[in-house]
Parts: sequence; structure tokens; C-alpha cells
Amino acid sequence: MFEFSAFSLYDAAFLAIGGVTILGALGVVLFRNIIYSALSLVFTMLGVAAIYFQLNAGFLGAIQILVYAGAISVLIIFAVMLLMDKDARRTNLPTPRTKAWFAGGTITMMMLASIIAAVGFTEWPKTALQGVDNSVGMLAELMLGDYVIAFEAAAILLLVAVIGAIILAKGVENR
Amino acid sequence: MEHLFTNLAAAFTGWMITLGLSPVWADIILLLVKWIIIITIITLNIIVLIWLERKVSAFFQERLGPNRLGPFGIFQTIADAIKLLTKEDIVPSAADKLIFKTAPMFFIVVAVMLYTVIPLGQGMEVINLNIGLLFFISIGSLSTIALLMAGWGSDNKWSLMGAVRSVAQMISYEIPLAFSLLGVVMISGSLNLQDIVAAQDNLWFIILQPIAFITYFIAATAELNRGPFDMPEAEQELTGGAYTEYTGMRWALFFLAEYTNLVAVSALMATVFLGGWQGPWLPSWLWIIIKTYGVILVFFWVKWTFPRIRMDQLMSFSWKVLVPVSLGNILLTGAGIYFCKWMGWC
Amino acid sequence: MNGQGLIKGLGITLKHFFQKEITEQYPDVMPELAPRFRGCLQFEFEKCIACGICVNSCPNDVLSFETEKSENSKKKKLLSYTIDFQYCMFCNLCVEGCPKDCLHFDHDFELSTFSRDDIKRVYLRPAEMDEEEEVETASMQDEQENKEQNKIEAMSKALQKNPAKILAQVLEQEEDIKILSELVQESEKTALKMAELLVKDKEKAAKVAAGFVTKEKKNRLQAEKGGEE
Repeated sequence: MFEFSAFSLYDAAFLAIGGVTILGALGVVLFRNIIYSALSLVFTMLGVAAIYFQLNAGFLGAIQILVYAGAISVLIIFAVMLLMDKDARRTNLPTPRTKAWFAGGTITMMMLASIIAAVGFTEWPKTALQGVDNSVGMLAELMLGDYVIAFEAAAILLLVAVIGAIILAKGVENR
Repeated sequence: MEHLFTNLAAAFTGWMITLGLSPVWADIILLLVKWIIIITIITLNIIVLIWLERKVSAFFQERLGPNRLGPFGIFQTIADAIKLLTKEDIVPSAADKLIFKTAPMFFIVVAVMLYTVIPLGQGMEVINLNIGLLFFISIGSLSTIALLMAGWGSDNKWSLMGAVRSVAQMISYEIPLAFSLLGVVMISGSLNLQDIVAAQDNLWFIILQPIAFITYFIAATAELNRGPFDMPEAEQELTGGAYTEYTGMRWALFFLAEYTNLVAVSALMATVFLGGWQGPWLPSWLWIIIKTYGVILVFFWVKWTFPRIRMDQLMSFSWKVLVPVSLGNILLTGAGIYFCKWMGWC
Repeated sequence: MNGQGLIKGLGITLKHFFQKEITEQYPDVMPELAPRFRGCLQFEFEKCIACGICVNSCPNDVLSFETEKSENSKKKKLLSYTIDFQYCMFCNLCVEGCPKDCLHFDHDFELSTFSRDDIKRVYLRPAEMDEEEEVETASMQDEQENKEQNKIEAMSKALQKNPAKILAQVLEQEEDIKILSELVQESEKTALKMAELLVKDKEKAAKVAAGFVTKEKKNRLQAEKGGEE
């Protein structure tokens, strides 16, 4: 990786990546064709992964691409394609009800306010952190050492969720 | 000879710094130059590869292959490329034009990005990423989206069927693909491809990890949509799968990307299992080329030997055979490493 | 063990990889054809007797021909013979059926043409064949004349030998026959004339014969009168 000593360059890269991410996220909401929404979701995921990469969290970034951009979004597109029964250009229309607009706007504002508050009130460490060389090793030690029980519990939880989803979809066979 | 390209790169950076550029900008320009060189190599390499595949497949069938243009028909691919460039660009009227047009570009960009981490020689890689292997796998998984875009955008049942098949196939085979590489990662203790090459100083990983090699080879064949796992294209059933509606240069981009993927995966196999650029006498960048082409020839051999298998067989083979086998390989490798440490051998 | 077949298959393709190529470099090197290879159907006009067996045996209506029936002979005259290759399936039935072996397949297999009409092969009656035929008919006429001549000569000889029997065909009274036979035996000229008439036209012969007899009778009567006088 490059040591971006020039602050402005690093900043510009961040702005570009952040711009792509936000544009992608806006696209998910605003596109009237739900396939376009799903594809812009992929770009959002890729943007998030790029931010991870820029923060020297390469492992997280790669996993983000592998899992979210490569697999989950494809599953979303699959689900959309299989369930779509009308013209693709009119699948993601904005809701006409003003009530829903108000509710959505309120929730967005609350989320935004809480994030701004969280960022503003947190005491950030002022010392510049050294870039971690072996982030994968550290992650492995944390996940398979200190927090192994939580990690395995999460894995089992996901497995249960998958099995539950299959049973919900296919139904239990009565013998 | 050994340090030819690394010295050239260093000289280029030095020259740019003498011109008054800051080292950061010099690095960025060097990166761009590296990308341009990689893309050039890929494009030129395709000409050889397509010719080679046609020739090799012909020999497997006791034919002559292209033999009209130039010695042994070597210029046939160039003629084909000119033909493709001059062909009419047809976009189906019912197609989703934006998706239809961006899909091949997305596909080729993803394919070229695979070369970011592959060490093409001693100290010769675009970026020496410490999670190189994982990066390779995750970028490789993105090509499903390009195929899905092509299949959806074409608005053609064959295209969509091919895209759906290829996505199902690629998502299923990504799991054994990643798992089979885990054994190697466990032994070498690193995801950095240069470290993995260095770990094969004495013994290639194909000897330590034969099961992983075979599972990776099978999974990679499926990931590449190559025969016998070429259901997504399946000319006889799907008239070309996701590529059905593509013509001229757009189709050529898909073709280019497929071969780019093939070379990338073969180079990764050579790096991970066959000792990478290490080898006696010849310079390292020549060794990686020789090994990559060896793996490519095996891919050709497999493709032109086995008939296409059925979709359900393909899926059940992945989930019922390859995934358990690769998981078992991880278990075996872990046990072997513990045994080795316990005995004090390593 | 599972997977043995895969290795076997790889071995087979590897073996073929190193085997010699079997490609025929066709336009550069012409292929070697078996002796009974069915390429283009050839027709020999001179041998054909226009019997029509080939046309009847053809399942696809490939063959057709035109004939002309001449007035003075029973034989049909073949004018043209057409092979419409676009329908031919090279079944060989016409070749097998032909009694005169005038159809056969040769080794020319490059039958493609630029237009659909070109593939139709029309054999027209060669000019030298007509000349030959004229000579033939001429000789035939000669032969007929010869035959007649021979007949007349034979008849005249027979007349001289045994006139009574032959002249009974034209004359009724024995007295007349006797007179005429005497006459015939006397002069060869009369014999020839009578023979010619007998061969060609019997009625005329009868009339002439009667004429001869009455003339002779008159002559004899005058001679008797003269003798008396």
C-alpha cells in the first residue's frame, strides 16, 4: 500500500470513494427500475469496501466485496428478478402517500442526528495510529482467541437462521 | 536478466523524481504504467491464447486447426480481431440498453483487476497486498454481477438462463475454491502471494496439498465457465448463454475477459501450488510464464476431453463432494501442522 | 474407484494429441476417392436407346428426355437428355437400370454452381450423330433395292425354269399359261419384265401378262393366215 503523505491526495481519494458510495445509495432509493437499484447497491458495497481498503482494513474490504458485493447483492437481484411480475421500469416507484413521506423523512432525520451526535461527542484519540501490518493475524487472534465463543455462537445463529428460512419456505414434511 | 523489469521500474521512478515529481506522484504514475503494461500484455496474450486453444483443440481431435494465415495460422486471431472490430454493433431494441452496454466493460475491468496481486516475478507485482489471495477471490466473485447484467440486459430468455446458471454455478464453486486455498494459507501462514511463493522455496504446495490442488482446479474450471462446466454458455442448449445477444466488439470484450480470467486463474495456480516464479536457470518472470502456460494447457486438455455435465450434477457435485472434501482437507492440514509442531519438525 | 474413467479419457485425448492429423487439405490436395464413389452423373448420348427405364426408376424426377419418332422407322430418335442435379440423391437406381450402360457416376464431386439453373445438365443431340444416321438410312435404301433386284433376278430365273407354276398366279387359262411360258422361255427380256412386275405389282403383272398373251395369239393367227395364204 502507499503511504499517502500528501494529505490532499488522500482526501481526494476519500472524497471520490465517498461520492461513489453516496451516489450508489441514492440510486438504490431513487431509481424507478428495481434492477438498477440492486445494481447501484453493488456500487455502494464496493464503495464501502474501498473505504475499508483506504483505512488499511484490507481484510474487511475483501470480505465486504466477497460477501456483500459478490454474493448477497446477487441474491437480492435474483430475488427481485424471480418475484417481478410487471414492467421493469415501474417496479420501484416512489410512494404517493404523504404520510409515508413524513414517516420516512422523520426516521432519516433521527438517524442523521444520532450519527452526527455520535461523531461529534466522541473523544477521538489525537495520536496518529501506526498502520497495522498484520491485520489478518490480529483479527484471527481476536475472533478465534478472545471472542471465540461469541464468534461460534454467531455462526450457529446464522446456521439456525438459514435452516429456519428453508423450513419456512419449503414447509415441514409430515410423515 | 533476472532484475530486468524491476530495474527498469526503479529507473523510471528515479527519472520521474529527477523531473521534479514528488515520490508519491511518481509512484502513482508508475502504477498507471504498470496497469497499461498489464492490459497490453493481456490483449497481446489473447491473440496467442486463442490461436493456441484452436490449435490444441484441433490436435486433440486429429485436425490441423487454423493453418491459412501466416506460419501455422498464427495470424488467424488477428484477422478475427479485425473482423470483430469492424462488425456492426447491434443492441436489441427490447434490451435494457444501459445495463446491456456496461456489462462487458464491467466484466473486463473485473478481469483485469485480478492481475493486481499476482506476482509476475521476483518483486514484480502491481501492488504487494498483504491479503492478496483474499483480494483475488473476492474480485473474482464480482464477475457474476457482470454476467447477470449481461443476461438481464439482453432481455432474452437464453441470455437470462445462461446468466442464472453461471451465477448459481459461480456462487456454489466459490466456496470450495476459497476453502481449497485455505490449506495453503495455513501452511504458509500468510495471505500475501509473495510470502506464499517464498514458502515454496523447498517444496511446492502441490506435493503438500494435492487434494487442495485438485479441488481448486475443479472449482476454478467452474468459476471460469470452461468446459466441462460450460453450462452458462452451452452453445447447443442456450445458443451462447449470456453472450447470445452480443455482437462485434462487445462480444469480443466478453471473450477477452474470459481468457483474461483464464490466464489470471492459471497464474494464481502456478503461484500458489507450483512454486510461483521460483525455478532454476531462467529468470523468474519467464518461469511464471512457463508455469502459467502449463496450467493453461491442462485447462485446454480437460476442456477438450470431457463432455459437458448436467446442471443438477454440477450443483450437487459442488455441495456434496467438493465442499466436504475441501473442508476435510482443511481439517487434515490443521492436524498435520499440529502433528508437525508436536514432533518439533517445524 | 470413481474418477478412473476421467483419467482414461484424458489418456485417450492425449494419445490422439500426438497422432497424425487426418485432415484432408481439400482444395490443395484432392481427396482419394473410392472406385465406386458417386460424384457427378454422366450420360453417353451415343449409347442411349431412349427406353425410359432410367426416368422410370428415378425416385426424384431428376432425369427427363425428349424424343422424336421418325416416319419411316420404328426407332425413337433421342433429341435431348436432361439431368437436374438439384434433386439427385445419388441413389444409383438409374445406373443400375440402364440396359445399355450409358449412365455412370464419375469422381467429380464439385457440383456447386452460382445459379440454380446451372446445376441442370442438358445433353443435346450431337450433330455428328445426325450425319451418321443419314448415311445409315441411305445404305438401308440401297439394301432394299438390292434385295428387290435379287428377288427379280431369282424370279426371272424361276420363270425360265418353271414358268407354268409361277404364271398360274397371274393367268387363269392353261392355254394362255402355255403361250406365255413359251414366250418367257424364248426371250429373256420378257422374262425379266414379267419377273419385275410379279415382284412389284401382281395386278399390273396380270394385265401385262394378258396383254402379252393376246398379242401372241394375234401374231400366231396372222402367221397361220400367212401360212395358209
